[in-house]
Amino acid sequence: MALKALDIYKLLPKKNCKECGDQTCLTFAMKLAQGKGEPDACPYLDDNAKAVLGASTRPPIQKITIGMGSRAFTVGEEFVFYRHEKTYYHQPGIVYLISDMDTEESIREVARQVRENCLTRIGIDLLLNGVAVRADSGSGEQFSRAVRIVSEGGDLPLVLIAPDPAVMEKALEICGNYAPVIGPVTPDNVTEFCEFARKYGVTLVLKGDDLPGLATLSEKCLSQKVQNLMLDLSGSSGRYVREATLTRQLALSREVTAFGYPVFMDASESGLSGVVTGIAKFASVIVTPPLQKPEMDAALVMRQNIYTDPQKPIQITPGLYRIGTPGKDDLVFLTVNFSLTYFTLQGYLEATRRSCWLLIVDTEGMSVLTAVAAGKLNEFVIKDAITLFKLADEVNHKTLIIPGYASPLSGRIEEVSGWNVIVGPRDAAEIASFIEEELKV
Amino acid sequence: MNYTYSPGWTTAVREVIIGATPDEGGTRRISYRIGGEQDLPFIGSSGHKPLIAFEICDDPAIWPEVVRCACTKLIDRPADWAAYADTVLRADLIRINLTSTKRRNFSDFDGVIKTVKSILAATSLPLLIEGSADLEIDSEVYQRCGEAGQGERLVLGTAEAARYRSVAAAAIAYGHCVIAQSPIDVNLAKQLNILLREAGVADDRIIIDPYTGALGYGFEYTYSTMERIRFAALKGDMDLAMPLISAPSDSLTVKEVRESVYSHEAAIAWEVATSVAAALAGAVILVVRHPGSVPPLKEAIDTLWTEKEGV
Repeated sequence: MALKALDIYKLLPKKNCKECGDQTCLTFAMKLAQGKGEPDACPYLDDNAKAVLGASTRPPIQKITIGMGSRAFTVGEEFVFYRHEKTYYHQPGIVYLISDMDTEESIREVARQVRENCLTRIGIDLLLNGVAVRADSGSGEQFSRAVRIVSEGGDLPLVLIAPDPAVMEKALEICGNYAPVIGPVTPDNVTEFCEFARKYGVTLVLKGDDLPGLATLSEKCLSQKVQNLMLDLSGSSGRYVREATLTRQLALSREVTAFGYPVFMDASESGLSGVVTGIAKFASVIVTPPLQKPEMDAALVMRQNIYTDPQKPIQITPGLYRIGTPGKDDLVFLTVNFSLTYFTLQGYLEATRRSCWLLIVDTEGMSVLTAVAAGKLNEFVIKDAITLFKLADEVNHKTLIIPGYASPLSGRIEEVSGWNVIVGPRDAAEIASFIEEELKV
Repeated sequence: MNYTYSPGWTTAVREVIIGATPDEGGTRRISYRIGGEQDLPFIGSSGHKPLIAFEICDDPAIWPEVVRCACTKLIDRPADWAAYADTVLRADLIRINLTSTKRRNFSDFDGVIKTVKSILAATSLPLLIEGSADLEIDSEVYQRCGEAGQGERLVLGTAEAARYRSVAAAAIAYGHCVIAQSPIDVNLAKQLNILLREAGVADDRIIIDPYTGALGYGFEYTYSTMERIRFAALKGDMDLAMPLISAPSDSLTVKEVRESVYSHEAAIAWEVATSVAAALAGAVILVVRHPGSVPPLKEAIDTLWTEKEGV
């Protein structure tokens, strides 16, 4: 069970020495209670306090970093079941699968795709995360050959799939020090794999026949002081959803600490729908054969959507945006920097097939209605944006079209900015008929 | 040792019956029960498998271009299009979107009713009808659609807070179900259900459409709203204990699909990805428009549904 801040405080030295980085022992205790601090930050804990705190203050789901360098990614350290309860923190890595029987050329091609594919949306680069190499040949030489080809770049996080410890060892000699994930760990090979984990610091993927079998394996690894673990819940999508739901619940409630690890999912059989299932339902590493470009894009965007923090609206950078290739006489529309407002308006403006300017002002991501009510959209913000983004240099008229819901501001905008204001429609869907019928241009 | 958890659910989602067989007073070859879930999607042994509806229209001018290209020969023949969705695509349901009613100065009510009747004759699957969206013509459109499908237990849409009376009246008069659409908000969904009940629509005739934002353009709001509606229902909020429908048609018109060099593959990927996520959040009717989306979505739902008694 989780300890309360005051219970934790009793175990601390109460010196307020600030060496942990916090001002007082009590604030440090509150941090620990929320699972946001490490007990080790306090240099004066006795062994008993360490043992008690270590077990109860670690996040309900272990944090694990996979790979080294700029492409390394972190998973786990999640606190909620539904994203709307707070947010999901660490998005799953999407990892492309190759076989050690594949040709050198095709292995290189998959590694290149993972390295180079990039979808940029609202200023964020959406990337694939790594390569999984599966030992289908049964030969250590063959497996390490494939692993060597992928590791040439030295940048991509790796998942190594080979149940035979002798085969696995060959690959670890090449990339063991680059924090790969290795598995599947079963009762047959758990002793050898725990040794690998201690020697190289790699993360183990545990595969049980069922959930009780998985829990037993997890406890066994912990008893051997191996803590970087993942739970392999691959299976039919239906079974996956049920097991992932159950383990997440039991991990969050800390009823079964053996399940307090990130989830590994092999979606080889189920393709895009399996990947989507993993994204929505708690997977942290999703292995899939290379997807077609449109499927990959859909998966990356789905991941971005589900892992968006519901507490913070996605914002678009304020600025003067071009729709088409606008000139000095074209219309200027103004709106807020809430990304959905921007995307919606942009879509309808593009659909009119005429070029125009779009001035986005900073309302801290609020929609028009909220921003007007909260005073975040006001005449001064608008005046500053006109100056900052040099609107007067781009057009030779002085007319702004504002959103319908901002109509109460129209007079004040005209006074403060010196620009003429036309009040546009409330609904962006009506923009085309508005231009046609109201503006008659 | 078997692991279980106690989420504290107290209530089941209501069952809604759509379509009517001859025994039930209609002419459909099958009727479906939807809803009935007592746990999260795809968990537990209750509830009914999600259904796939294929959506067609009677005026393709505003239909997504990628779908027009995929259905070229059928696009102007709604009855044949419906038969194709039934026998070739093997959809579970057909939805006819009466897009002609959305044109300015629409007045061809007879033509619309003829279309509805021809579809009822061309397919014996239960039918969803998406009618007009204009207070001035709603009454006549819904009244006549309702009459044309009397006894068939159609699903009429869309009721919104600002215009629900015509849909409700037609559903009550002719024994149909209603789709209640609200703009991605739990409280507004609840409010509309209450309005419909006060207008006389029975609770077991309502299907909630929390509106499906496009993937990449707000779908996350829909996802969480669906999860919250489902959660509220299982926790005992009877005003939200209705089955959910999702129509991810907005995902077909996003820039990433429109501008893709593989537009069909993109349309299918975006429609299927959105639908699968909606099903995982609780939607039990998934409405798609691209013919290529039906087989992979069917397979995905079948796989999610397998071994359901397992855990």
